[in-house]
Amino acid sequence: MGTELVVEGRDVWKTYGTGETAVTALHGVNVEIRRGEIVAIMGPSGCGKTTLLNCFSGLDDITKGQVTLEGVDIHAMDDRKRSAYRAKRTGFVFQSYNLLPILSAVENVEMPLLIAGVAPKEARERARKTLEDLGLGDRLNHRPSELSGGQQQRTSLARALVGRPAIVWADEPTGNLDDEGSRQVTGLLRQLNKEYDQTIVVVTHDAEVAAGCDRTLRMRDGHFVE
Amino acid sequence: MSVPLTLLIPIAILVVVLGVSGLLALTHRLTFRIAMRNVRRGGSRTILVLLGLLVGTTIICGSLVVGDTVNAINVYGTYLAYHGVDEAIYNQSVVTGGYSPIPYATYLTIAHAAQQVAGVSAVTPMILGTTTVFDKTTGLPQPGLNLVGSDVNSSGALGSFQTDSGATVTGPNPGSVILDDVAAADLNASVGDHVILVGQASVPLSVQAIVSDTGRGLFLFGADAFVDLSTAQAVENISGQVNFVSVTNTGSEQAGAANSMNVSARLNTTLAALGLAPILTVHDWLENNLTQASMAGSSLATLFLVLGLFSIVAGSMLIVGIFVMLAEERKGEMGMLRAIGLNRRELVYAYYFEGLAYSLGSALAGTALGIGVGFGLIYAFAKLFAAGSISANTILGSFSFTPSTLVISYVAGFLLTLVTVTVASARVSRLNIVRAIRSIPEPPPPLKVYTFLAYLGGALGVVGALLFATSYKGTTDISLPIIGGGLILLGAGLLGSRFARNRPVFTATSIGLLIWGGFEPLHAALLGTHHTGTIFVFFVEGILMVLGAVMLYSFNSDVIVRAVARLVEGRPQTVPVVRIGLSYPSRRPFRTAINLTIFGLVLFTIVGVATIGSSVQAGLDSEIVAQSGGYSFLAYSQNPIPDLPGAIANNSTLAKEISTVVPLDAGSLSATIAGYPGPYIDSAFSGPLGLPASETIAGTAKFNFTATTNGSSAAQVWAELAAQPNDVVVSNQYNPGGFNFGGGGPHPVTPIGSRFLLANPDTGARSNLTVVGILTESFVGGFFLNPATATKLGITLPTAFFLTVAPGVSATTAEQHTKAAFYTYGLVVIDFAQVLRTSIQNTEAIIGLLEVFVALGLGVGIAAMGIIALRAVVERRSEIGMLRACGFTQGMVLRSFLLEYSFVALLGILMGTVLGIVLDWDASQGAAGLLTFSIPVANLATVVLVAYVLTVFAILGPSLRAARLPPAEAIRYSE
Repeated sequence: MGTELVVEGRDVWKTYGTGETAVTALHGVNVEIRRGEIVAIMGPSGCGKTTLLNCFSGLDDITKGQVTLEGVDIHAMDDRKRSAYRAKRTGFVFQSYNLLPILSAVENVEMPLLIAGVAPKEARERARKTLEDLGLGDRLNHRPSELSGGQQQRTSLARALVGRPAIVWADEPTGNLDDEGSRQVTGLLRQLNKEYDQTIVVVTHDAEVAAGCDRTLRMRDGHFVE
Repeated sequence: MSVPLTLLIPIAILVVVLGVSGLLALTHRLTFRIAMRNVRRGGSRTILVLLGLLVGTTIICGSLVVGDTVNAINVYGTYLAYHGVDEAIYNQSVVTGGYSPIPYATYLTIAHAAQQVAGVSAVTPMILGTTTVFDKTTGLPQPGLNLVGSDVNSSGALGSFQTDSGATVTGPNPGSVILDDVAAADLNASVGDHVILVGQASVPLSVQAIVSDTGRGLFLFGADAFVDLSTAQAVENISGQVNFVSVTNTGSEQAGAANSMNVSARLNTTLAALGLAPILTVHDWLENNLTQASMAGSSLATLFLVLGLFSIVAGSMLIVGIFVMLAEERKGEMGMLRAIGLNRRELVYAYYFEGLAYSLGSALAGTALGIGVGFGLIYAFAKLFAAGSISANTILGSFSFTPSTLVISYVAGFLLTLVTVTVASARVSRLNIVRAIRSIPEPPPPLKVYTFLAYLGGALGVVGALLFATSYKGTTDISLPIIGGGLILLGAGLLGSRFARNRPVFTATSIGLLIWGGFEPLHAALLGTHHTGTIFVFFVEGILMVLGAVMLYSFNSDVIVRAVARLVEGRPQTVPVVRIGLSYPSRRPFRTAINLTIFGLVLFTIVGVATIGSSVQAGLDSEIVAQSGGYSFLAYSQNPIPDLPGAIANNSTLAKEISTVVPLDAGSLSATIAGYPGPYIDSAFSGPLGLPASETIAGTAKFNFTATTNGSSAAQVWAELAAQPNDVVVSNQYNPGGFNFGGGGPHPVTPIGSRFLLANPDTGARSNLTVVGILTESFVGGFFLNPATATKLGITLPTAFFLTVAPGVSATTAEQHTKAAFYTYGLVVIDFAQVLRTSIQNTEAIIGLLEVFVALGLGVGIAAMGIIALRAVVERRSEIGMLRACGFTQGMVLRSFLLEYSFVALLGILMGTVLGIVLDWDASQGAAGLLTFSIPVANLATVVLVAYVLTVFAILGPSLRAARLPPAEAIRYSE
């Protein structure tokens, strides 16, 4: 684990809606995460975990405050720059996998590389290699509907990691998996974190997943409690 | 008051369907409530669905309204043209067309007896004939005018004349003639001009009045010369006689016409009692002409309706698409309903009830919109065709629709929607509960599905084979064996899919359908040239070809998309956009196939109609040659001209202007032809004997033949006809392969080698003849006979002539000089080229209207694309979110959407355009010179551009909405 700050949030607020219907999901959150660190974010449903992940990863705007990723203010970027940053420096894993049903496993995995401008041939090769590393070498051309839940999540993981991103954001990555699948995914996250020194932020309800992380941040009502 | 069946049957069907539906609703209350809740909660989606569903009804209603209005225009014109003559008593010669005169005393006997007949209001003596009028003041002659002789006091029965300024004219007075607008324009005549009427005798008169070509002035439609009875007797040289007894019924014109059958039956009994029945016959003049007028309106409605079928099918595809999407949207909900105990049938009922509500609403809106579309077409029709007595205001004033039209449109549209919805519902209700709840895609169909398809294919194949076997040899409509062949191919495909992989089997099937639907030489080789054809062939071939093309894409989409992707993938940045944009059309084949079918069908129709229009224009020169046989004029005279070639040779002006003169003996005969009910009256022609070769049709004609015995040359056919009294050559109307665009009713056909009886009803002479040649021309319609046969059948009067204008001489000048030289014979001269050009202009105008009409179908394609794109935004939210998370910019999302729908639209447009051009090529192969294959490039480019731009407009909104989705919100979304 390095000392370089990769994710830094200062007094981050997020409010949905306006007037009487306004709901504040993040209440001045401050957080620092270093390179190579694997951090779990836990808390009860509705406490703002996913909102935090979305706001810190640049998927959602913030109402107030500042989020810097690798020293760059992500919310100061326009859509094009922010998209380019996501394509090259971040990866995402979601509970429902979010694989594109019309693409095969290898096509799903190579998509971030293609978006980042990697040549199609090289992208295909790297995607294939990543899937093989994750034990899906015999499922390259299968569509998501032809894969089990665990295989889909590993494909999703391969997609997040194939571009060797600096930060991987994982939102309940084991939420749809059984114990075995859950253990596999957690182990893979840990292993890849070690191999590539990637920073991984995991939003989870699963204490076992959190136990495998370097540290756990607990949230309640839109802010960290410990 | 009796209700017509056209009104009663659809209402009965509607009542039955609604009754059964009501019973189902009572016995399945829960599903009914679920359906009604879905309709109520639909909001803007319900409006969208209704818009999509109303297309079929709109097209049906629009077509029928056009038919009603054309019918109303024709009926209006007919009431004017046959004004006051409900029944007519006369004896008309079939051979000469002339009315036989009867003594005035006989007329008085008839009149006295007829006045006693119930329903008769007035009996009027008349003389009808044809005359040439020579205006001595202007120096212009005009042959072929209707001579109408009646007494000045007959206006009570026949109506009155009116001038253009509205003044009533009483007459015609003795020693004068009343001309209608048309005749006056032909003669450049004015009131007071001195004219000579030429018939059997020449009678000098002065022009008493020029009357409006309306009311009594429109009598018999054409150019009229109205004279008093004694003047007409003088012109016809039938002193003390009349040749036409007009009977006017009591009541209004409509009531009189409606009572015509009863009155004429009573009149025939009266004539029989007088001992006049074998000589004179009562004809339901007005009623018969009204029937013909209605048939013309019905023909035009049929033309619009058949071409509209493409849009109706496209509309049905849209309905299927909408309901399949609705089902996908509600898959989870349906799964839950099944999980809590609703069975599959009840799920179908839920959709059925929902579809019922949509159908009732959309059919109503579609009928209303159809009236608007019909008015738009009639408005365009009025602008294009207003001429003579039928002004634009008259046409627009005749805009009408019958209660039957409204009810038929509503019920047909309602049933079309309901049936499609029910079929689509049955398909979507077959879902696995768990997969539906968890949104897991359905697996490939199990073997039992293919077994079912194999049985279905076998059944289709058997039906197709039966249809083909019973129709391929005969002279039936060629659509039947083509449909049979198409069913065999489809059946073979479905059967084959049980035993082999889908891709090779259906690729072969689709190629088979494309070739079978679009390769005319194959039809000619397999089906021969004996079949008849109607506009329906256009529809059948179009459906087969579009189906083939869509199947070809659907089972090879990955190959096609990969090839296209290679073409459009340029810079690395475009690769992911192309990958996403083109993956959906490739891997969602059902939805893509629906869009392709809709676009394919619509563009096929538009391009087909446009290219046929272009080919008609391009074929004009060759058409003039084909129809004219190389001659400039067809001339015919009221009175025989014994030696026209000699007369022209002796005329110093005409000798220089006319290079060839071919006289023909001409008349009419009655033919009894197998397959045609009753006798068929048509013209008969023959070259007189003893003429030098340079003056015979055999020596000078350049007419082509569509078919001859054993493929003989034209010269051989004419030589054989000259030698063999039992041979006959027929014009192209008798060609079994001739194409009837839906007008004119059925025509008898006489294939090469067939025999038929030709008779002269006046003399009783008859001959059995064998067809040795079918001409490509149809301008001079009828039979061309051996001279001896013609003489035997009483065709001996030289009253028809082919003339050729000498090189360098104006056809107009030669025509005027010829008419002037022979006006005393009543010589009418028809310039082939001029008539065909005018006819083509009318054809082009109709084709233009049809283009506009079929282009309405574009609305279906665009609506389909817009609806599907809108749905795709909802459906793919989380996918869009994920792409955004992976680095897709808003612009990339927008571009991928635009690419996806552009690809589908352009592929459909390309498909329809190519197939439309193929159809035109097909038509030009089978049209025997009527069409010269021609592609209207600029016109098609405009069609393609407009279709694409409108599509882009339709998908731009949904695409922008997709691009602007906030990524975090999109990822979280689930339906």
